[in-house]
Amino acid sequence: MAMIATQTSLSGSSQSPRSPSTQPFLSVSVTDPAKLGNGVQSYISYRVITRTNLPEYQGPEKIVIRRYSDFIWLHDRLFEKYKGIFIPPLPEKNAVEKFRFSAEFIEMRRQALDIFVNRIALHPQLQQSEDLKTFLQVDEETMERARSQETGIFKKKPADFMQIFKDVQSKVSDAVLGKEKPVEESNPEYEKLKNYIFELEEDLAEAQKHAFRLVKRHKELGQSLSDFGKAIKLLGACEGNSLGKAFSELGSKSEMLSIKLQKEAHNLLMKFAEPLKDYVRAVQSIKATMAERATAFKHQYELAETIKLKEINLDKLMLIRSDKVGEAEIEYRELKVEGEEATKKYEMIVQLMNEEIVRFQEQKTWDVGVAFHELAKGQAQLANEIADAWRSLLPKLEACSSAQT
Amino acid sequence: MATITTQRSLSGSSQSPRSPSAQPFLGITVTDPVKLGNGVQAYISYRVITKTNFPEYQGPEKIVIRRYSDFVWLRDRLFEKYKGIFIPPLPEKSAVEKFRFSSEFIEMRRQALDIFLNRIASHPELRQSEDLRTFLQVDEETMERARSQETGIFKKKPADLMQIFKDVQSKVSDVVLGKEKPLEESSPEYEKLKHYTFELEDHLAEAQKHAFRLVKRHRELGQSLADFGKAIKLLGACEGNSLGKAFSELGSKSETLSIKLQKEAHHLLMKFEEPLKDYVRAVQSIKATMAERANAFKHQCELAETIKLKEINLDKLMLTRSDKVGEAEIEYRELKAEGEEATRRFETIVRLMSEEIVRFQEQKTLDIGIAFHELAKGQAQMANEIADAWRSLIPKLEACSART
Repeated sequence: MAMIATQTSLSGSSQSPRSPSTQPFLSVSVTDPAKLGNGVQSYISYRVITRTNLPEYQGPEKIVIRRYSDFIWLHDRLFEKYKGIFIPPLPEKNAVEKFRFSAEFIEMRRQALDIFVNRIALHPQLQQSEDLKTFLQVDEETMERARSQETGIFKKKPADFMQIFKDVQSKVSDAVLGKEKPVEESNPEYEKLKNYIFELEEDLAEAQKHAFRLVKRHKELGQSLSDFGKAIKLLGACEGNSLGKAFSELGSKSEMLSIKLQKEAHNLLMKFAEPLKDYVRAVQSIKATMAERATAFKHQYELAETIKLKEINLDKLMLIRSDKVGEAEIEYRELKVEGEEATKKYEMIVQLMNEEIVRFQEQKTWDVGVAFHELAKGQAQLANEIADAWRSLLPKLEACSSAQT
Repeated sequence: MATITTQRSLSGSSQSPRSPSAQPFLGITVTDPVKLGNGVQAYISYRVITKTNFPEYQGPEKIVIRRYSDFVWLRDRLFEKYKGIFIPPLPEKSAVEKFRFSSEFIEMRRQALDIFLNRIASHPELRQSEDLRTFLQVDEETMERARSQETGIFKKKPADLMQIFKDVQSKVSDVVLGKEKPLEESSPEYEKLKHYTFELEDHLAEAQKHAFRLVKRHRELGQSLADFGKAIKLLGACEGNSLGKAFSELGSKSETLSIKLQKEAHHLLMKFEEPLKDYVRAVQSIKATMAERANAFKHQCELAETIKLKEINLDKLMLTRSDKVGEAEIEYRELKAEGEEATRRFETIVRLMSEEIVRFQEQKTLDIGIAFHELAKGQAQMANEIADAWRSLIPKLEACSART
């Protein structure tokens, strides 16, 4: 379970009066991954345990079984309905086949899914979503039905987002090259933000790649120490007296240190490399929201252009007292309503995004600080244990070298 | 320079009387590797500095220039002349082409050559060798002439030694299979020693391989830390305020640690892996001496057989009062002398080897003890520095996270 700060503001839902000591809370656990199905169709299912005192939910505790595609369903629904909000990111869909059921991968995924749901539960708007309630409460058959209904309607593939982005970017370059009028916001502060996000994603991806490599190197060093320890022990077995003992001590110490290194490799992975990866996903989520904002802006802008043309046309028709005026007037009014709607949607996104940016920066500063702390702490502890282990060996080795016969 | 224990007994050389404070000493340094020549013919030359008060040597200090093949010449001559003695081993001849002139390889080789010469200088018999004197004193042209003369005459390739060994081993298996009388010593203690030596070589080679791998892993982890540090600093550059500062501190710290790891990797290589490798070579030198011993035994056995036959033949001739008796008698006596000579040589080897085994065990125990000590010390020190570095970072990181 991720750290949860209890929310005190819940808007929009009818509540029975409660004493100030009964804070509203909603906390979720994703646990007990189990492998189900056979062969190619096998998959992992998770237990999702919801504990809450919110009246919209059934009872203080509810347990359901969910699989990865159910989480995707929730993510996509929220992305569609809450434009402007940075939807918490999901762990990656694909994995190398042979790695897909390794204990490490399953644990990493479970942790990421747990964080995902809890972030939604903590978000002032997202936590009120109907889809969240569905996800946390309905039985498996209902969930499956809901999931299969959504295919094709709401699902935008990441490729689509990239396309939207590319459209936006190409429009910008067209404008620069003087090809056509830009359909882009010309807000310098927002430009700055977009630049920052793009640069951040690149630098983060690089850092995250090297963080994972660091994990790998720890594992390799650990393996090497283990092999070395075994070889040294074999050597000691054919020597006698004090030298053989020295070999044996050294071999055992190496094997023990190997275990420590493997432990730290795992710790690095879960407490540092994965959080960095999570940061990357979060930034990608922001980019997706930026794409939605660009789409909303373009839509709103194009409608405005169309309305202008319709206005000019209407005036023309009125001047020549055409009988088409009535029809045109109705069309014009409808368009104006649509335009206001589009403008309202766009402005809502802008407003939400401003709040989201602040939330994001705070949360990220906190998360990264924690991750760095874990890194430094884990590494310091490992190094200390290693130093102690080697130092404890020194007097024993000195005893062996001095005892020569 | 390896540690040299001064030898008190010097036999066979005329000495001027000396005061008890002027201990005889012979100290050698192999230094200043320099790349000479061009392209394919390029090679490394070393300065060999001899400091001694032995009267057989010219003056208190002499400096000569030597290359690897000169060392090989010296080793081969000693191997031929001092059968029974474990000749100190040389570093390997070949090296992967692109690695051959890397500073690390050159330093490893220099260290090994230095140890080689100093071991000879410390050995009570070997240090008196004429060939050693030649090696340490003659000018380069004379050395080159001596080196090229020896090709083909004395040079036994390692392959030849292995062949001798295989012969010995196949003879053993022949006996086991009941094929023929063994031409092998039947000393159970010596058998044990042979077994031990073979087993030791296997296990040592394995341990040395993994020690080398350990060095490599240190380097890789160090490289990874450097890459990571750079990436984190780039990240910090686009963040602002306290978070950016945290990134920057972390990045710098990683780069510092990367350097420490590379340093320890080098230390591991020179002070642990190389000594282990040296141990492997020493054991191979023992195996070569065992092959020589087997040779001498076989030679002595075969002569004894021949002498028996000659004796029987001689008796026959004497019975028949043949005129060939005189000739046969002379032949018989010559063979007996040869037989005694061969037996003496074999027994010398056996005696020398017994002393050598004791020396070897003592020296090896000491060397390995030192190598293990270096390993533990270096690792402990590095780990301590790493722990301190990370711990010094924690308060700075806490300062960053505490802000909202």
